[in-house]
Amino acid sequence: MSMNTRRIRAASIFALILFHPLVSFSQDQCRTCHESIEDPRALAFAADIHASNGISCADCHGGDRTKEDMEEGMSAGAGFRGVPVGDAISDVCASCHSDASKMVHVYKSTLPLDQVEALKASVHGQQSVSGRSRIAQCTSCHGAHGILPRSNRKSPVHPANVPTTCARCHSNAGYMTAYDPSMPVDQYQKYRSSVHGKLNQRGDSKVAECASCHGSHDILAAKDVRSKVYPINLPATCGSCHADAVYMRGYGIGTDQLKEYSKSVHGVALLQKHDIGAPACNDCHGNHGAVPPGVESISKVCGSCHALNADLFSKSPHKKAFDTRGLPECETCHGNHEVVRTTDQLLGVGKEAVCAWCHKDDTKSRGHIVAATMRQLADSLADAEDSAQRLLNDAEQKGMEVGEARFAARSIRQARLESRTKVHSFQESQFRDVVEKGLSAAKDVSAQAEEAIGEYHFRRWGLLIASFAITLLAVSLYLLIRRIESRQRAK
Amino acid sequence: MKTIWEKLYKWIDERVDLADLVEFMGKKYVPIHRHSIWYYFGGVTLFLFLIQVVSGILLLMYYKGSEDLAFESIQFIMSKVQFGWLIRSIHSWAANLFILAAVIHMFSVYFTKAYRKPREITWLTGMFMLFLGMGFGFSGYLLPWNELAFFATKVGTDIAGAVPIVGKPIMVLLRGGEDVTGATLSRMFGFHVAIFPGIFAVLLGIHLVLVQRQGMSEPIGHSESGGDLKTMPFFPNFLLRDLLLWLIVLNVLAILAVLFPWELGVKADPFASAPAGIKPEWYFLFMFQSLKYIPAEVLYIEGEILGILLFGLAFALWTMVPFWDRKSNFGQENKVVTYVGLFVVAFVIALTILGWTA
Repeated sequence: MSMNTRRIRAASIFALILFHPLVSFSQDQCRTCHESIEDPRALAFAADIHASNGISCADCHGGDRTKEDMEEGMSAGAGFRGVPVGDAISDVCASCHSDASKMVHVYKSTLPLDQVEALKASVHGQQSVSGRSRIAQCTSCHGAHGILPRSNRKSPVHPANVPTTCARCHSNAGYMTAYDPSMPVDQYQKYRSSVHGKLNQRGDSKVAECASCHGSHDILAAKDVRSKVYPINLPATCGSCHADAVYMRGYGIGTDQLKEYSKSVHGVALLQKHDIGAPACNDCHGNHGAVPPGVESISKVCGSCHALNADLFSKSPHKKAFDTRGLPECETCHGNHEVVRTTDQLLGVGKEAVCAWCHKDDTKSRGHIVAATMRQLADSLADAEDSAQRLLNDAEQKGMEVGEARFAARSIRQARLESRTKVHSFQESQFRDVVEKGLSAAKDVSAQAEEAIGEYHFRRWGLLIASFAITLLAVSLYLLIRRIESRQRAK
Repeated sequence: MKTIWEKLYKWIDERVDLADLVEFMGKKYVPIHRHSIWYYFGGVTLFLFLIQVVSGILLLMYYKGSEDLAFESIQFIMSKVQFGWLIRSIHSWAANLFILAAVIHMFSVYFTKAYRKPREITWLTGMFMLFLGMGFGFSGYLLPWNELAFFATKVGTDIAGAVPIVGKPIMVLLRGGEDVTGATLSRMFGFHVAIFPGIFAVLLGIHLVLVQRQGMSEPIGHSESGGDLKTMPFFPNFLLRDLLLWLIVLNVLAILAVLFPWELGVKADPFASAPAGIKPEWYFLFMFQSLKYIPAEVLYIEGEILGILLFGLAFALWTMVPFWDRKSNFGQENKVVTYVGLFVVAFVIALTILGWTA
């Protein structure tokens, strides 16, 4: 027997062993059958990442994939469990995805092992309205038989497809009402109108989509303090991209917004004082419909909180002047991300005053005079408040009860706050009215404090006189006792 | 020509026979010895009590004993009522001086063994008045309904509640419920202005009648020491000296009340957490501090309960001293009683200082 004949014979025997139905234990009989009947699930599974890793139908559905006989392969004895339903779906996924011995050692995967646990703890892990299972299972987003890696553009969880995937439920008003009737269902529409959404639609996979801000498996309700979109955490979430100069390269926008915001009056209030009433990024830029506010809309954005200031400004002579020069309204004086705490120093024509930026040259101009006068009025009110507070403190230190005057002093502070708002009218008369109201309150408070201090001195003098009178009486009594006793001794 | 005073005396004498009283007072003498100074503390205590009654009645005209109005009414008294600040400050200072004078008076009686036969009832009424005085202090402390008072009352009634068997009902009785609330304030107000004064008036009446009837006690061995027994007439000598001391006390009280006005503090907020360093009034401090030193458990008994029981026993023994100090009753010097007294004084002072500085 020649060498070639021997080789051919050996190859034939090997092929027989390999392809003979009785000995071909490595072949997936489930797929063989289901593909033969053109079961769409089996056909889709051919492209599934699990199939390419040697995972068979039986790994999820149970049964014996080596059995050619359907009855035998899909018998209870072979461990067949059929189609997993409800929470059993995620449990099947977890049986591998949460098991390091399989994921790391067998499949050499770098995927995190806590995805299913994170899903259970997330807002989607809550009980569904049916009460029989959690709201979402792994398959809700990843699909079931045609699961593709996230990097595959056809995957429903590829960045380009995430918004559509989430929108399947979140844009369905009928479905969402059952869970949270107050929750809007227009996030997808808004997102598509945003800068993020538009770039995403153009295929930019770096740009933020739903999971970038909300997380993926670990999504929490926005009102949950641990959520990435909870007001206190939101600036850091936005900053994870926008403060990263390398990541943002090519987008043509700065990356110092978070740094500036953190120093601003808004940032300090939110991030340091944890005042969730203070605006985070989304309060000015929108969240799903995130766009940078333009020159024409900036006052509307600020005015959504600072309504009175915005209203006064829109009626003021500055409105027309700013519009003509194309200046953004609030931002021109206060800045944008780094809005600093306002002080009276901003007003007037001095070095730190913002009015002087435009009104410094012409000292006889009406704007210059009004700015200087308003600053004088603001200073006089601040001085009056200081003086009243000093007198109150003095009276209190002397042990006098000045609770009522202390309460009345709030009117001075109120007038100062009101005057800071009235500044935006840029009308001296309106500003003066408020300041004079505060000055009058300061006068009353000072008078009450002075009265208390006067009362303190009156008490001291009263004590001196009373004490002197009692001492005099005591001395007289002592002398009387001595006189009586000397008389008694004489007897 | 009769003066108006003589006419007035005659007018009253014709109706109530003052002559007998004047004769009784004329025959009343007070012994003079090296411990005579202690006789005056009874009078000082009485004087301070009278100041409390008068200033308390004046405060009552404006005070409102309810959770919503108590604090504000005292604020009103202190800022709007003419001399209201002075009356309130005097009432607060005199309350403390009253307890101090009563404690000195009690210890002077104890050390001179003046409680011995036949003055057991005088001692007992005095002791009960001292306890009532502390009760006045405890109940009055809550009335301004400020933060310190609120939590001190909570702690105080908690301690009372720790007494086995009867503690819980006592605590509920004092609080008017399970917690310190507006009901507790109404209750304390009731105790302070009606129940305690009523009982106190009866005890004080008995105490004064007995003092007048039995006269001042002389220290043991004084009458047997030989020599002339020096005395002074009660009227006018002792009474005028009493008045002189009262004037001095009044002066001290006025200085304290004006220079160190009693603060009102912050209104009580039952939902706020207790401020740090809550302490009771100084006269409860030695007990409060002692309870802190007792271990959490002693011989299977909870430390706090053991402390309360021991204090209860100590107060009972102290009150019953005329009945177990047989030696003094026979006119013999009982040094054991003196040493026990000295130990108690040292203990109370030391623990009060420790509590104050803690």
